[in-house]
Amino acid sequence: MSKDLPTAVQIKNLTKIFPLPFRKEKVVAVDNLSLSVKPGEVYGLIGPNGSGKSTTMKVLLGLISATSGSSTVFGMSSTETASRGSVGFLPENPYFYKYLTGAETIAFYGKLCGLKRKAIKERTSELLNLVELEGARDRRLAGYSKGMLQRIGLAQALVGRPKLVVLDEPTAGVDPAGSRKIRDLIMQLKEQGITVILSSHLLEQVQEVCDRVGIIFEGKLVREGSLKKLIEIEDQTEIVLENAGSDLLKKISDLVNQESGVNLVRSGRPRTTLETLFLKETGGDSKDARNDS
Amino acid sequence: MTVENNKSIDNELNSKFKLFSLSRVMAIAMNTFTQLVRMKVFYFLLIFSVLIIGANVLFLNFTFEQELKILQDVSFGAMTLFASIFSIVGTALLIPKDIEDRTLYSILTKPVPRFEYLVGKLLGILFLVAVSLLLMSILFFAVLFVRQHGILAEEINQMRGQPSQEQISSLREDIFAQGLRLELINGVVAVFLKAAVAAAIALVVSTFASSTLFTIIVSLVIYFIGHAQSMALDYYFPEGDMHGALQRFIAGIVAIIFPNLQIFNVVDGIVSGQSVPMSLMFRLTGLTGFYLFIYSFVSWVIFAKKEL
Ligand SMILES: Nc1ncnc2c1ncn2[C@@H]1O[C@H](COP(=O)(O)OP(=O)(O)OP(=O)(O)O)[C@@H](O)[C@H]1O
Ligand SMILES: [Mg+2]
Repeated sequence: MSKDLPTAVQIKNLTKIFPLPFRKEKVVAVDNLSLSVKPGEVYGLIGPNGSGKSTTMKVLLGLISATSGSSTVFGMSSTETASRGSVGFLPENPYFYKYLTGAETIAFYGKLCGLKRKAIKERTSELLNLVELEGARDRRLAGYSKGMLQRIGLAQALVGRPKLVVLDEPTAGVDPAGSRKIRDLIMQLKEQGITVILSSHLLEQVQEVCDRVGIIFEGKLVREGSLKKLIEIEDQTEIVLENAGSDLLKKISDLVNQESGVNLVRSGRPRTTLETLFLKETGGDSKDARNDS
Repeated sequence: MTVENNKSIDNELNSKFKLFSLSRVMAIAMNTFTQLVRMKVFYFLLIFSVLIIGANVLFLNFTFEQELKILQDVSFGAMTLFASIFSIVGTALLIPKDIEDRTLYSILTKPVPRFEYLVGKLLGILFLVAVSLLLMSILFFAVLFVRQHGILAEEINQMRGQPSQEQISSLREDIFAQGLRLELINGVVAVFLKAAVAAAIALVVSTFASSTLFTIIVSLVIYFIGHAQSMALDYYFPEGDMHGALQRFIAGIVAIIFPNLQIFNVVDGIVSGQSVPMSLMFRLTGLTGFYLFIYSFVSWVIFAKKEL
């Protein structure tokens, strides 16, 4: 049944090349990238600065056109305005009209989503409540702090009750408590069955909220998969025993020692962290991607 | 099952999305208007008041014909100036700023066709220009009304002896004929129409230029050439000499790039007592509509493909 549903996001062989004005060389921002996101999934896009995360999102949202390849949102091409009817987007370092108040901002975007007057009123209160900006609802955005702007941006992205939410670094510049709240909010979206694509440099958070992760490096998708699979260590096996006495453990350890080439590593959870994997895949660290302890 | 599912989701999206929605356009237009109002542009009314009251005080010793004419010249001059500045600077200020600040990202990732954004911005600016002209007209007409009655009283005072009722009414007729009259409204409308064309010029320029300064300079250049365009065309292609297809083509291109703005200057005639034929007003309105359409279309063609 769920297999029959169209994918939420389908990006096929996407390449985006930026010509540099007055120069011969070009910037290949995204290089033959393919990925798909299923409805209801939370997908994390991670990669170093300048690896093409934002560019991929911009193509997905029709802000820029692909040099080659295609991208669709719920089966509709990103080049069609109609495909944006079911999407909410939080740009990186969001900036809105600073002469509008928080409530006016949400109302403005609500109107653009085609909400009626009454629905706008309800939705505005609901969302300001959700992002905890009721106290600032009648203050102009010119006086908002960075974290507040990020939160009003989040509210703005949700105003049209989107089925897909695209968040470009939702926690950038947000304090740890605020950042945890945004994480909780993403969890709530997931519970409501909303598809989420996010990019972030906070790998711990990505690890906490994402079902699947794609690692982008120099415009290419170098690793992709379910988070569980990605951080699993293939050449180690975990045996979980219940109520095993120390005798039994000693026997097992003796047995292992008899076998040549096998070592008992003894690790409660032989998993790497996403961070180690990230550094390995993107060449940021030459160390082995394993927890050595 | 699969197909049905796809279809129902597609239908749901399509039914929600309208290719053109007036309410979205109006949301953008009203937002633009609010933005300009909150930038405190209406303080210009103070300058306008100072100008027309100053014009009164400075030229108090002139004959009443001269005084009323100067008041109207100054007022229409200031109205043209403010309306054109608002049109060009307003457009040049707001659209490149939206691009630069990336406010456009959050607008265009809502189901808003790029065309609607442009039309909304243009309408917002035109709305602001219309409201400013309305406020300026009210001030202008009020001052004119007060002055024509003041002048009448002064003139009667200066008359020797007791003027007859007949003398007074002929004097009143003379003065009021150059005072508040319906014809002035045509002048205000012509000022608005010219400003609307100027705004549309700035719209086109701002879609390919991404800086405010460049937009303002290029738009002003086109604006000024637009005032001299007819002279140049007359010089190169005298009236009877327009038979060549190439010549007509060139003249047409010139007229589209540099709209003839001189023909919108009906206020000089109005101030010196001529009346504007209604047919000319219709022609000006039609011409403005034509330019607004062409320029919106051209800016959409440029903007539709723009990488943001
Ligand atoms: N408009 C543009 N013109 C030229 N080059 C661009 C443009 N936009 C992006 N690039 C280049 O494309 C590459 C990818 O940029 P992108 O913004 O997608 O990176 P990112 O993964 O989002 O990085 P970050 O983590 O810093 O946000 C970079 O090398 C960038 O310089
Ligand atoms: Mg980025």
